[in-house]
Amino acid sequence: MNNDRILAMLVLLLLISTSPIAIAAEGDDDANVILDRELEVGSGVAIEQSIKIEVVEVKTDIIDCAKLRISSYQKPARVISIFQGDSPTEYETSSGTSMYIKVLSVYGDSVYLRVTGPEDWRVTNYYTVESEEEEETKEEAVTIPKLDITRTFDTTVSEPGQVIAVTIKIRNTGNGTATDIVLDESPIRGTYKEDCPTTIEDIAAGETKRASYTLKVVDAEPGTYELSPSILNYQSESGVSFSSESKTSVLEITAAEVLLPAIEVSIDPVDSIMACGDDFPMTVTIRNVGNATSGIVTIKSNLPPDVQVVSGEDDPVYESIEPGESEEYGVTLRTHGEGKHIIDVQAMWADGEAVDTIEFWAEKSGLEQYYIHILAAIPILLLLFWAMKRRKDYSY
Amino acid sequence: MLNILILGLGQCGNRILDAINREAFGSGGTFAKYYSRQKFPASVKTIAINTAINDLKELSDTLAKDRMHVPHLHGVGANRIIGKRVFGENKEMIMGEIDKRGSFDLIFIITSTAGGSGSSFAPLLAKELKQTYTAPIISIAVLPFREEGSIFLQNTAFCLRELVEMDAGGVLLVDNQYLKKYAGDIKSAYDSINTTTARRILFLIEALNSEMLMVTDLGDLKTVMNGGIGVGTMGFYEASKESTIKSAILGSFKPSGLLFPANVYEDGARAMLVIKGNKKFLDLDLITKTVEELSREVGQVFKGVLIKKGRPKVLSLFTLNSVPELEKLYAIAADAIRFEMDKKEQSKKRLDDAFSHIEDLEPIY
Repeated sequence: MNNDRILAMLVLLLLISTSPIAIAAEGDDDANVILDRELEVGSGVAIEQSIKIEVVEVKTDIIDCAKLRISSYQKPARVISIFQGDSPTEYETSSGTSMYIKVLSVYGDSVYLRVTGPEDWRVTNYYTVESEEEEETKEEAVTIPKLDITRTFDTTVSEPGQVIAVTIKIRNTGNGTATDIVLDESPIRGTYKEDCPTTIEDIAAGETKRASYTLKVVDAEPGTYELSPSILNYQSESGVSFSSESKTSVLEITAAEVLLPAIEVSIDPVDSIMACGDDFPMTVTIRNVGNATSGIVTIKSNLPPDVQVVSGEDDPVYESIEPGESEEYGVTLRTHGEGKHIIDVQAMWADGEAVDTIEFWAEKSGLEQYYIHILAAIPILLLLFWAMKRRKDYSY
Repeated sequence: MLNILILGLGQCGNRILDAINREAFGSGGTFAKYYSRQKFPASVKTIAINTAINDLKELSDTLAKDRMHVPHLHGVGANRIIGKRVFGENKEMIMGEIDKRGSFDLIFIITSTAGGSGSSFAPLLAKELKQTYTAPIISIAVLPFREEGSIFLQNTAFCLRELVEMDAGGVLLVDNQYLKKYAGDIKSAYDSINTTTARRILFLIEALNSEMLMVTDLGDLKTVMNGGIGVGTMGFYEASKESTIKSAILGSFKPSGLLFPANVYEDGARAMLVIKGNKKFLDLDLITKTVEELSREVGQVFKGVLIKKGRPKVLSLFTLNSVPELEKLYAIAADAIRFEMDKKEQSKKRLDDAFSHIEDLEPIY
C-alpha cells in the first residue's frame, strides 16, 4: 500500500508539473465550464437538476482513472471509466444535448474533474452518495414522480393576427404524485399568450393531464422561431424537487397577405423609326397583377404636341379590373414632326399609378425626302416613256 | 385644208416617202421623231407599200402603222409579171388600208420604174385609185441608172408607158442617172435624190395648201399636169444675195435645178411656178413680167407667191410636149430587150443542142 502511495505521489508530482499545460490547454477551450473541481469518492454533483455525476472509484496505476456513475432524465445510470489524459468523454442527454467530462487528476480518494457543456448549464447541487444498501432501503420507502411533457401546436405556420392553440400534455410516469407543478415557458417576442396556466394541479402516478392556451401572433417579425422547451418544475411528496422539459418546437411566422390591386401598363413596341405623316398603331395593355380587384382605372396618354390620334379609343376609363385580368385598347397615331418623340401612358387608380413609356424617332418620309428628285425624275420618265412609245411607233 | 395621200411603192418609193416624213419633222435631225411632231403643210397621210419586208424595216421616219407589207416571199425579184399578180391577189387589202385614211384631194404615187414591186404595183394602183377617188393622181416616177441592167430598163419602159397611158393625173419624172452627178457615191446620190425629191413635193404641197399673195391651186396643178404628153418634172432654185427674183425664177428652169433633163423652153407645154420668200425680195411686177416672158416661150405658166421668211425659193413644175431623153431611154431599153431576147434564144438553142446529144438515147441501169 505504501509503495502504491509513493508511486501515486510520483505520478501526482509528474502530473502537477504537466497539469498547468493541460489545464492551460483546456482553459484555452471556448466551451462553457460547468464543473472544475475535485470530488471525493462517494460524492456527487447535480447539473441542471437532472444530470448527476457520482464518483464511484478512483484508480492510480500507470495511467490513473476514475470510475463515474452518470445518470440523467429518462436515461438510466451507467458507470464509465475515464482515464486521465484522455480526450473529454461525451455524454448525451435524452434531449440530445451533450456535455464533456475530462479527468484532470486522480488522487488517492478523489478525482479532479472538468465538465463542459451548454452555456446556460450550471451545477445545481453537490451531495454525498448514500450506500447502495441505504438506497435500496430508501427506494423501497420513497416514491418518485416523473413527469413527461409534450407540447403541440395546432399549426406550425402562422401569420400576424392568427391565434394558435397550444396543448401541453403531462403524464406522470413515476411512482409518486407530482406536486407543486410549475409550468415555465419562455415568451416569444411579438406574441401574446392567453389563458396560459403557470401552475398545474398535482398529478398522481400514471395520471395524464392536459393544459391548453392560445398564442396570438401580434406583431412578430416574419421568420422561423425555435421555441425553447416548456419546463415543468415539481416536487415529490417527500419534497424532492424535479424538473422536466418538453422538446423544442419550431414555429414559422409568415408575413400577412395584403390584398391590393397592382396595375401594370405596357405599350406594345412600335417601330423605332417612323416616317412623318405615316399612321402607326399603338396597343396599350393594362393588367392587374395584384391580388385584389381594382377600382376605377383612368388612363391618360401624354402625347407630344406634334403627335395626334388618328383613330381609336383615346384615354379610356375602366370601372374595375379583376386580379390577373387585363384590358387592352389600341389607337392609331400620326406624327408630323421630325426627331425623337416620347409617349407616356399613365394608369391611375385609387391606390396608385403606373406608367409606361415608348420612344421613337420620326423622319421625313422617303417621298418627302426625295420629293425634288422624284419631281425631277417624272418629266425624265415621261420623256423616256414618250421616246419608247415613239420608238415603238416607228419600229416595224 | 387639202387632204393629200402619198403612197411610196417599192424600195425606192418607200425611201422617198421616208424622206418626206423625215423632212416633215423639220431640222431636228435623227432624233426629232422622239420629241417632235411632223409638220406637214396640209393633212397628209402616207403609206409605204412593199413586198420586201426588209425594205419596210429599214425605214426610220415612217410610222409602223403606215408601213404595209404585201406578203410575197421577200419581194418579186424585179419581175413585173409576178408583181402584177401579187397586186391582184392583195388588191382588196391594199385598197382597204388606203380607204381607212379617208378621202383625198390629191394623191401622189412615188415609185421607181425599174424595180419589181413599185413598177408593177404603180400602174395598177393608179388605175384602182382612179376608179375609187376623184382626186388627181400624180405619179412620181424615178428612172434608174442606165447601167443598172436590161431588166430595169425594160421595166422602166413598160412601167412608164402604162403610167402615161393610164392618164390618171400625170407623171413627174425623177432621173437617178441625171441626178447622180450631184453626189460622189451611189449611196450619197440616192440619199440626195430622195431628200431633194421629198423637199420639192413638200414645197408643192405647202404651196397648194397656203393662202398666197398670188394664187395657184390644185386646179392649176391639174391643168399643168394635163398639158403636153402628161409627163413633166420639177425644178428648183434658191436665190443668193446677188440674185434677183427674175434670175431665181429662170434658175428654176435651168437643167441644174431639174429632176429630169429637159429643155423647158423648147419642149415645155405648161408650167407652174411657186415663189416663196420674204416680201422684200418679192417684186411682184418683176415676177409678173418674168412669168409673162416665160409664157411666151413655154406656154401657160401658173404662178403662186407665198410670203415666208428667208430668201426667195422657186419651185417650177412643168409638163412637156416631147421628151427626147425618154426617147433615148426607150431606144436603149428596146436594144436591151432585144439583146436579152437574142441572148435567151441563143442560150436556149445551145441548151437544145446539148440536149440533142441524148435525143435518141434512154438511160440504161
